[in-house]
Amino acid sequence: MPNGTHTVELQVPIENIWNFVSDMNNWAPLVPGYIEHEILSDKQSTWKFKGDLGFMKKTVKLQIDIQEWLEPSKVTFDLKGLSDNFTGGGYFEAVKISDTATRMTGHLDITAGGMMGAMINTILKNFVPETAEQLTVAIAGKINEIEGVTV
Amino acid sequence: MPAKRPATWDREVDVIVLGTGGAAFVSAVLAADQGAEVLMLEKTHQVGGTTAFSGGVPWIPLNRYMKEAGIEDDRESAITFIKRLTQGKEPDPKFIDLFVDTGHVMIDYLHENTPLRFATPKGYSEYYGHLPEALKNGTRSLDPEPFDLNQVGEWGPLVRQNPVFPPLTLAEGGAVGGIDFTKIAERMENNIVTMGRSLIGSLLKAALDRGIDIELNTPGKELVLDEEGKVIGVVAEYNEEKIFIGARKGVVLASGGFEWNQELIKTFLKGHVTHPMSPPGNEGDGLIMAMEAGAALGNMTEAWYYPTMQDPTFEYEDHVMNQTGGGRMGPNSIIVNKHGNRFAHEGTTYNDLPRSFFEYDPVALEYPNEAPNWMIFDQQLKDSQMIITMMPGEEAPEWVDQADSLRELAEKIGVNADGLEASVARWNEHVENGVDPDFHRGTTHFENILGGGGNAEANLGKIEKGPFYAIPVHLGALGTNGGPRINEKGEVISLRGQVIDGLYAAGNAAMGILGHVYTSAGGTIGPAMTMGYIVGKEVGTKESREIKEAEALAL
Repeated sequence: MPNGTHTVELQVPIENIWNFVSDMNNWAPLVPGYIEHEILSDKQSTWKFKGDLGFMKKTVKLQIDIQEWLEPSKVTFDLKGLSDNFTGGGYFEAVKISDTATRMTGHLDITAGGMMGAMINTILKNFVPETAEQLTVAIAGKINEIEGVTV
Repeated sequence: MPAKRPATWDREVDVIVLGTGGAAFVSAVLAADQGAEVLMLEKTHQVGGTTAFSGGVPWIPLNRYMKEAGIEDDRESAITFIKRLTQGKEPDPKFIDLFVDTGHVMIDYLHENTPLRFATPKGYSEYYGHLPEALKNGTRSLDPEPFDLNQVGEWGPLVRQNPVFPPLTLAEGGAVGGIDFTKIAERMENNIVTMGRSLIGSLLKAALDRGIDIELNTPGKELVLDEEGKVIGVVAEYNEEKIFIGARKGVVLASGGFEWNQELIKTFLKGHVTHPMSPPGNEGDGLIMAMEAGAALGNMTEAWYYPTMQDPTFEYEDHVMNQTGGGRMGPNSIIVNKHGNRFAHEGTTYNDLPRSFFEYDPVALEYPNEAPNWMIFDQQLKDSQMIITMMPGEEAPEWVDQADSLRELAEKIGVNADGLEASVARWNEHVENGVDPDFHRGTTHFENILGGGGNAEANLGKIEKGPFYAIPVHLGALGTNGGPRINEKGEVISLRGQVIDGLYAAGNAAMGILGHVYTSAGGTIGPAMTMGYIVGKEVGTKESREIKEAEALAL
C-alpha cells in the first residue's frame, strides 16, 4: 500500500495550528497540484487536483470523508477516487511539545484497484510519500508565515 | 540565415549530431567507430527523442533474428512488397534497394558491436498481411529485448519517459494474449525498460562506452557555413547563451520532424495535424536549418499519421496527452464525420485511416471528414475492450459523451442526428449480412492482427445496446516524414542539385526514403536507423576539414 508520513516541528502553539488546519479552505490551495474543492458537509468534501507522476500528470477527482475529529490534535479521513479506481485515507496530527511549540504530522495512504492496480501502485509508491511531505511542509510554511515565525 | 564562421570556436569536434533518437544514436555510434570525435546535442531535458517515446520497433527485411526464428525472407520479395505500397510515389526508387540491402547489415553491426538486442515477436505478423506481396509466416518487425536501465547509471532517469507503452515487449503487450500488469509493476520496480526506451537505453550505453559526449538542453539553432557554403559547425544555445561548435567532418541533422510546428504543418502537410504524438520539442529545427543552408526538400507533404484520441485527465509535458485510443477495429463501433456519415474502413492502419480525413467535396465546397470525427460505439464494446484508458467493467468517466439514444448522443456532440441514425442502421444491416459493402470492414489483416486477420465475426458487430458512446478522433501524427533531400550517402542536396558539403540528415529530420509508406510495425524506425548507419559511416570516414579562420591559422 503506497503511503507516506511526514513530521515537522513548529514554534507555534497547538491551538493556532488547529485554528488554521480545521478550516479546509485555509490549506486546500496548498495541496500539490490543487485545482478546486467543494465542501459538501461538515464531514464530506470533493477535490480535484493534478498529480505530477514524473513521467506525466494526471487529473483526479476524489471524495474525502472525515472519520474522526479530535480537537485540537487529530483529524482522520478516508478518501476514494471519483474519477479513478483508488481508495485510501490519512490523518493530520498535532502534538503539543510546549506552550509555544507543536509537532505536526501528516499521513497519506492511497491504493489503486482494478486491473491496472499493481502497475499504478508502483507509480504511487513514490508519489504518495512525496505528496504527504510536500503538503505537510507547505502547511507548516503557511502557518509560520501567518504567525510571523522565521525559520 | 546560417551563421558565418566565428573568429574562434567555443568547441571543436569531428562530428556534431543534432538529436538523440534512433537515427541520431546509430549515426553517432557509427561515426565514433570510424574514429571520429562525436558530440550529440539534444534540445530537450531528456535523451531519446521520438524513438524513446515509441514502440522502438524497426522493420528490417532479411534480418538475422528472422533467420534464427526460421522465418524465410528474400530480397526480391521485400522490394516487391515495398513497391506495391509506394505505388511509385517514393522520392527516389533507389532508396528502396538501399534500405533492403543495408537495413539487415545495420542490425548485424549493432548486434555485434553494441548491447542492443532484438527478438522476432512471436505471434506477430505484418500489417498488410492480406496483400499477396506481404510476408505470410511471421514479421520483419524487431522487438527490442528488455534493457536494464541501471546499466547507464545517472543517465537512466534522463532517458525520455514513455507514457504510451508500458514496460512490456511488443510480444508481451498483447501479441500473446493480454497485458500482465503485475509484470509491468515488477519491471518498473527494477528499472527494466522495453520498446523505445530499451532501444534508446541500449544505444545510449553504446554511445557512453565510446566516450560520445551528449549535451542536454542544448538545441542547435543555426548551421555555420564557410565562404564556399560548406557546413563547418553549429550555433547551439545553452542557458540562452550562444555556443559556436565547429565540426571538422560534418553535422548530422537527426533532430526529428516538425509536427509540433503549426506554421510548418500548415505550409507542407495535406491535413492539419492538431494532435501530434511525439515529444513537443519536434518543431522542425533541423528542417529550418537545412532550408537556410539552401537544401532541396523531399516528401514534404507526408507524415506518419495517427487517428488520435485523448483522455483529457492525462498530460505529458504540459500538453493533454494524445493517445492511441482503441476500439475502432470494432466490432460494435464505427467512425462518422460531422454529417453522421461513415467515410472509411475504420480499422485500417493508423497511417492509412487519417488519409481519408483530407477528402474534399467539390460540390459542397468543404472537407467533410476534417477532424475531429467521432468514434461511435455501444455498451457491448465498452464491456469488452480497453478504450483509451477506460477498462471494461468500469464506469465511463465524465469526459466520455454518452446517451441512451443515438439521436441524443448526436445532439450532444454536434453531429447530424439523422445522418448518425441512418449510418448505424445501415451498419447494423451490414453486420446482419456479415459483409460491409461500403468500406469492407473485416477484410484487412491489420484490424485483427493478433487473431489472424480481419473477419466478420471479429470486426463486425451491431451498435444496438445502450448507452451509446462517442469519442472524438483527431488528426494526429507520430512524426512528420519529409525534410531535406538526401542522396544514398545521407548527404543533403542543395536546391541546385549539389551536395552541401558537411551536412547530413537521417530519420524524421530527413526526406522519408519510402515516401508515404508505413510498411508495418517499425516502418518509421527501420529506415531511420538504416540511414543513421549509412550517415554515421560516411561522416565518420570523411576527411577532416580545416575549419579555423585563415587569420587564426596564420597566427
